[in-house]
Order: sequence, then structure tokens, then C-alpha cells
Amino acid sequence: MSVLRPVYITGTGAVLPGDPVGVDAMEDYLGRVGGRASALGRRALRWNGIETRHYALTPDGTPTHTNAGMCADAVRGAAEAAGEPLSRLNHLAAATTQGDLLVPGHAAQVHAALACGPLEIASFQSVCGSALMAAKSAWQAVRTGEAGTAAACAGEHASRWFRPHFFEGTALIDAKGRLAMEAEYLRWTLSDGAGAIWLSPKPAQGAVSLRVDWIDIVSLADRFDPCMWAGATEADRHDLTQAWPFLGPQAAFSAGAVALQQDFTLLKTIIRAWIGVYLEKVDAGRIDPAAIDHLLLHYSARSLREEIVRLLTDTGAMIDEARWFNPLARTGNIGSASIWVMLDALLRERPPEPGQTVLAVVPESGRGLVGFMHMTAVDQNGETS
Amino acid sequence: MSVHVHTGADPARLQSTLRKLAIAWTGFEARLETAPLIRKLNRGQLTLADYQAFLINLRQQVVEGACWISRAASNISEDYFELRSTLIGHAATEHRDYHLLEQDFVAAGGAIEDIRTARKNVGSEALSAWMYHQAGRPDPFHLLGAMWIIEGLGAQKASDWGGSVLRQLDLPQEAARFLLYHGENDGDHMEEFQSMLAMTPLDEALEARIVRCAEVTGRLYALQLEEIELA
Repeated sequence: MSVLRPVYITGTGAVLPGDPVGVDAMEDYLGRVGGRASALGRRALRWNGIETRHYALTPDGTPTHTNAGMCADAVRGAAEAAGEPLSRLNHLAAATTQGDLLVPGHAAQVHAALACGPLEIASFQSVCGSALMAAKSAWQAVRTGEAGTAAACAGEHASRWFRPHFFEGTALIDAKGRLAMEAEYLRWTLSDGAGAIWLSPKPAQGAVSLRVDWIDIVSLADRFDPCMWAGATEADRHDLTQAWPFLGPQAAFSAGAVALQQDFTLLKTIIRAWIGVYLEKVDAGRIDPAAIDHLLLHYSARSLREEIVRLLTDTGAMIDEARWFNPLARTGNIGSASIWVMLDALLRERPPEPGQTVLAVVPESGRGLVGFMHMTAVDQNGETS
Repeated sequence: MSVHVHTGADPARLQSTLRKLAIAWTGFEARLETAPLIRKLNRGQLTLADYQAFLINLRQQVVEGACWISRAASNISEDYFELRSTLIGHAATEHRDYHLLEQDFVAAGGAIEDIRTARKNVGSEALSAWMYHQAGRPDPFHLLGAMWIIEGLGAQKASDWGGSVLRQLDLPQEAARFLLYHGENDGDHMEEFQSMLAMTPLDEALEARIVRCAEVTGRLYALQLEEIELA
């Protein structure tokens, strides 16, 4: 009979490529669609509250990094922080929204970039929630003894999808030359980077580790059409027989079916559904809001926060705002990588003390999903005090 | 006998009830999203005939709304006079709402006699029977669960639905006033609801009844939408 082992995060890594890019310089990097400055950009920024972000390309569109390369660097950073060589890695789980190639999987590309010897890999493609899918794979691998040491990484090279050539000459541009809001908003919201966690069955020596208590992921795709998608037009996104491979790449591009898009009306409904899942966790006693010391909520729409805070307060599910930790206003919203970049910043800037709890919450608008990861800080003996 | 004055229920109980109701709401909303008519609406595929069928089917239930609230009010005992009075006020504001639906139907090209003479669909029959039965019970405080669902529709869904109908069918504002009006006027729904909840003798048993009533009402309301025949 095998016994489940405790699993600890003994190191984290974060990669934010290049210098922080301020609001005024964003279009220098992303380019101006049709040669015109965006009219909607400022509005999107007011909504998402992001001040600076990082791009893995130069203003002329030349890549400075690949998605896989950033992920590999994040894994190296996590290994270094854990004080372990990459040669100890047995299981590598990699997450992203869109990898560098359509095929093969992201984890294969990250492994190639790591060049660290044969190991088990697992690729997870979704949106922000893919980070926790990969984490669950890596956590279970160590927990069950299938792997001695595992890493989970997540990365995004979002900016390359936002260059003008993804929109110009497509149906996403109206007669007046304006880009559809569904596509424009994401250009002003997402940016580049990667993050990783190193998972070990033994806590780090001489440092605080985070024991991973549980990871819950709940998909709500049974009730929603795609809310954030690429590969179909807005009108046909529910009908997979109209997806880009059937249209053919050129017709799909012209129809505006290749670019990444977001449905804002549906997003409102999905936000309520996320809260519903969280409230169920609270109601069932899985999450005790009063017992969470550090909350990492990957959430970018600042203007919607008031509405959420009110509902959470009224339902006794609010976690005191002083316990929230969110550096995304300066790091940018990096999709799946956000949660590890947030965790990395928490450990450096507000390190949890043994016994304190950390709750990571990762909502994904994709087709409606929310994930939770509960951690407890422990000392080098795995003790909470 | 003294009249029960709103002294504020136990805050933890109030929070727990609202939490369970919010969970019931999301379950209801999941059902709504998959109802064929709402799928068509969300996918931009609604036809004028679909919208007319929507109005016809809604009307047969909305016409009963003020009636079951009145019946519930009449069964609230004197101890809870404040709640009774609030419910009577509610019924009064809503008892002409179905006229709006009829006017919308005509503005959307329908004939008035068609909407007035149509029968309830199976879901509406079930919803109505359930409402009247519950409203007829002594001190039917648990009907707040039903109000949570039905008023939640106004606060969370109606104006988006109304706007979407107008855009898709290229209809004038006058053809969706019922949906748009509810979206605008049910704004402080949460605050009003909480004050009503605080007027009841809220305890664990009543909480369970309120939440169950919300769940059943949500299911039957969704059934009503599922039963609408599409073009």
C-alpha cells in the first residue's frame, strides 16, 4: 500500500521579459492597427487597472524570447530558489494559452529549452486556469510517489497575437477602420512572462516552504459558450464545425477567426458563476475566509471588484482586503503565468510565516472555469509553528 | 400580541442565507443559459417569432405574479405586519406589469388577442401552481426564496436580454420595455431583499425553507423557458 506524501513548494521562479512598459509606450510595442492609435485603449486600461507590463518583443515586432524559453527560465529560477539541480526533475508540467507551435505540446518545447535529460512531461492548454491544471499534475505526481521532484510552469507570449497583422485585412476591422472591442480589449490587458513552482516531498532547509494542501478545479463549460476564444468568429464560436481548420487558414483569417477575443456580456454571467463556486466552497467549509492569511486572486477587472466585494461581504465570504496580495498592476496580467508571478512576488515581498495560509484563486473566462490552490507555510521540518 | 419590529436578524444567519441563495441563483442561471430560447438569444440567432413566443409565454406567468404575492401577504400574520405591508406594496407596483408585456408584443408586430388568449405552457402551469400553493400556507416567509429568483432575473438578466433582443431583431425600444424596465428598476434588489429577510424570524429551519423555495422556483422558471416552442 502506498501512502500519499505531503508536497511542498520549495522554490518559485518568475520571468518578466525586458523593461516595464508604461501605458504611453504600449502601442510602440504592439503596433498601431491600420496605423491609427486605438480609441478604446484608455478605456480598457481604466477598467483593468494595469499600469506597467512586459513584452517579449521589440517595438518592430522582433521576438526577444519565446514562450517555451521564458517557461524554461522560470523553471531554472524555481530550481535555483529550491537549491536543487535540474537533473533531479522527474516530472515537468507546462501550461499556456497558446504555445509557440500548434503541435507538439508546450511541455515538449519547454523540456527542449531546458535540455535537462529525459523526464516525464504533461502539457496543459487552456487559459489562466491551465496553470493550476499543470500544478495539479505535478502535485499529484509527487504526492503519489510517481515522481521524486516535479515542476509546474506557465507562460504566455501574448503580445505576438496583438500585432497589427493579426487584425488588418480581417472582418474584425469595421468600415471606419476601428478594431472590434472583443479583440481590442485583450490587446490592452494581456502581456508576456512566465512563472514556475518547484515541488518536493521534503520542505526546504533553512527556509519557509509552502505545503500544497489541495487543488480544486471546477469547469462550468457545460453551460457556457466560449467567452475568451481564438479559432472561430464571434458568431460561430459555439459551432465547432465552423472553426478555423474547416474554414481553412486564409478564409479563417479574413473572417477574423484567428485572433483572440472576449465576450463582455457573457463575462458578467461567468463572474457570477465563479463567485457561486467560491461560495459553495465556503458554504461546504472547504474554504474558511477568516482563516486565509494571504489571498492571491488573479483578477484584472478592477472596476468589477466593488460589486464582487459587496456580494462577498453580504454573504460572509469576504477575505479582509488587507490580506489580498496582487502585483498585477505592475507586472501586467500574464494569463496563466500570473498566479506564479504573484506567488513569487508574495514570497519575496510579504513572506508567509509558518502556520499562515495562502489561497490562490484562478478564474478563467475561456469557457467558464475557476481553480483554487490552498497552501500552508511550514518550517524546514514541515511544522506549522 | 406585539407587532414584530425589524430588529435585525442574527448577522451570521443572514449571511449564511444570502450565501446559500447566491449559490441557488448560480444553479438557476446555469439552467437558464442552457434553455434553448436563451441559447438562441445568446448566440444572436433569435427570430421575431421566437421573441413573440417568449413574450406570450412570459405574460401568462407575469399576470399571476402580483396575485401570488398578494395571497402571500394575506397569509402573513399580524406579528409580521411590516413584512406584510412590504409585500402588499410589491404587489401593487407589479400588478400592471403584464400590460407592458402586451404592449411590447404589439410593438413587436403581434396581435393583442394572441397574447391575451394564449394558454400557459407546462412550465408556467407548474410554476403558478407551486407559487399559489406556497403562498397559501400560513406565514409563507419562505416565498422570499421565490422572490430572490424572480427579482434576480430583473436585476441580473432582463436589461441584457432586452438590449440583445433589440439589436438582433432591429426593433424599437417600445418592443422590449418590459425587459428594459425591469433591468433599470430592480437595481437596489439586494438591499431591499435583505431588509425583507431581516423582517422574518430567520433561523436555520426557515433558512432551509427559503433556499429550497428558491431552488424549486428556479427549476420551474427554467422549465417555463425550456417549454417555449421555437421557430
